[in-house]
Amino acid sequence: MPDFDVAVVGGGIMGCATALQLAQHGMRVVVIERRRLGMEASGMNAGTLSLQIKRAALVPYALRGYELWKTMAARFGMDVGFHVRGGLTIAFTETEAEVLVERMGERRAAGVPLEIVSPARALEIEPGLSHRLVLASHCALDGYANSNLTGAAFRKALLRAGATVREGEAVSAIDRDGGTFVIRAGEAVSRAARVVLAGGAWLDRLVGFLGFNLPLHCRVNMVSVTERCPPIVRAMVGHALGLLTLKQSDNGTVLIGGGWQGTGDRDGDRATEVIPENLLGNMQLAVYAVPALVHTRLVRTWHGFEAHVPDFLPLAGALPGIDNAFVIGCVRGGYTIGPYMGQLLGDLILGRRPGLPLFDPGRYIHRPMVALTAP
Amino acid sequence: MEGTTSLRIQQAVRRGPPVTLSVNGEAMVAYAGETVATALRLLGFRRLRSSPRAGQPRGLFCAMGVCQECVVRVDGRTVPACLEPVRDGMSVVTHVDGRDGLSL
Repeated sequence: MPDFDVAVVGGGIMGCATALQLAQHGMRVVVIERRRLGMEASGMNAGTLSLQIKRAALVPYALRGYELWKTMAARFGMDVGFHVRGGLTIAFTETEAEVLVERMGERRAAGVPLEIVSPARALEIEPGLSHRLVLASHCALDGYANSNLTGAAFRKALLRAGATVREGEAVSAIDRDGGTFVIRAGEAVSRAARVVLAGGAWLDRLVGFLGFNLPLHCRVNMVSVTERCPPIVRAMVGHALGLLTLKQSDNGTVLIGGGWQGTGDRDGDRATEVIPENLLGNMQLAVYAVPALVHTRLVRTWHGFEAHVPDFLPLAGALPGIDNAFVIGCVRGGYTIGPYMGQLLGDLILGRRPGLPLFDPGRYIHRPMVALTAP
Repeated sequence: MEGTTSLRIQQAVRRGPPVTLSVNGEAMVAYAGETVATALRLLGFRRLRSSPRAGQPRGLFCAMGVCQECVVRVDGRTVPACLEPVRDGMSVVTHVDGRDGLSL
């Protein structure tokens, strides 16, 4: 007899959001997390909730995810640092401007309320920007949350919904005992009727426990934060080629990202290192975009592991060929869509009609080919 | 402004040779071996900057490079004054601010 209706393995935003939807609809849920909830990509990213930087295919999901972020503090009973600032994505060359117009056209068609604006208008909206910009796009809804708070907020919501949260021990085995999944993590054994694998950059390891292969690409994304400084930029600033995200939080620090890469091994001690040229490139672009940053000092730089599959779309749905096993995660920019993706997968598991199509994990997750030998 | 030596111990101290600093554009004297923070304190500068949001006074506090409250601009670089030795001809600007890179 299983102790839980569902065991969610992986306590990032995707796993937590799935678990929350299930627990809020009466299922007995356990979340099993190796570290603490929301400590990897969900807690290390720059917190950007920018609709205009989402790929067109994900815009419907991002719009719904954004709404969930907006109401999260009220629903969870805990501040998550959600702010709406409006965002400007800027181009410095004609080539960048062409890319901007093309990408933003697709995203606007997909439903993002954005407009292309002249340099004069962009500078009116955000006087802190460089006068060297040649074109910009503006979305008044763009915002951010404090990703440091993600895990704590979901923990509170999960516990309130009656879920069990088991943190601090890595899963060492997932076995099947009849129709029950038996999940071992340290001393704890969780027996559940269903399993949701939500391992983020380690999802391939989790599906491996059930005998599946997943071709996962893992990036080592860099984020930096400056010292506190007086208000220098109000809007969220991005770059046409996606090489920059920048926002100044209320405490005066400026958070700078943009997907520049560090090095690191996601296995072992998970230690990461800065690639100096990449840090310099990221900071030079930030200063180019917001010149007042020139004398601001960097306080800290860190990296998070972010995984994606070749088509850069999420995995969310049932594992092929095995009953009651599900997968969620692995997408670039999962922070914005995470709360909604979890709700969708939760609905599928609950037998409710998901509001938007899910993303069949079977397109990449397969059982290993078995070599055929002649009889 | 207080005198350049009034707060310094006068007896039984072997001091380095005098150096000339520019502090906010004004020539002032300190002694080799002192930090910028020491020199500024002895020159009478207690308030070195303002807090970023509330604009409250900030100055030498931890004196060991941790708290960042004594940050000034030295020859164009933003540094904690307490870790920076004085050098002849050095330019020091107090009340630096991330907004415009200039003294307020």
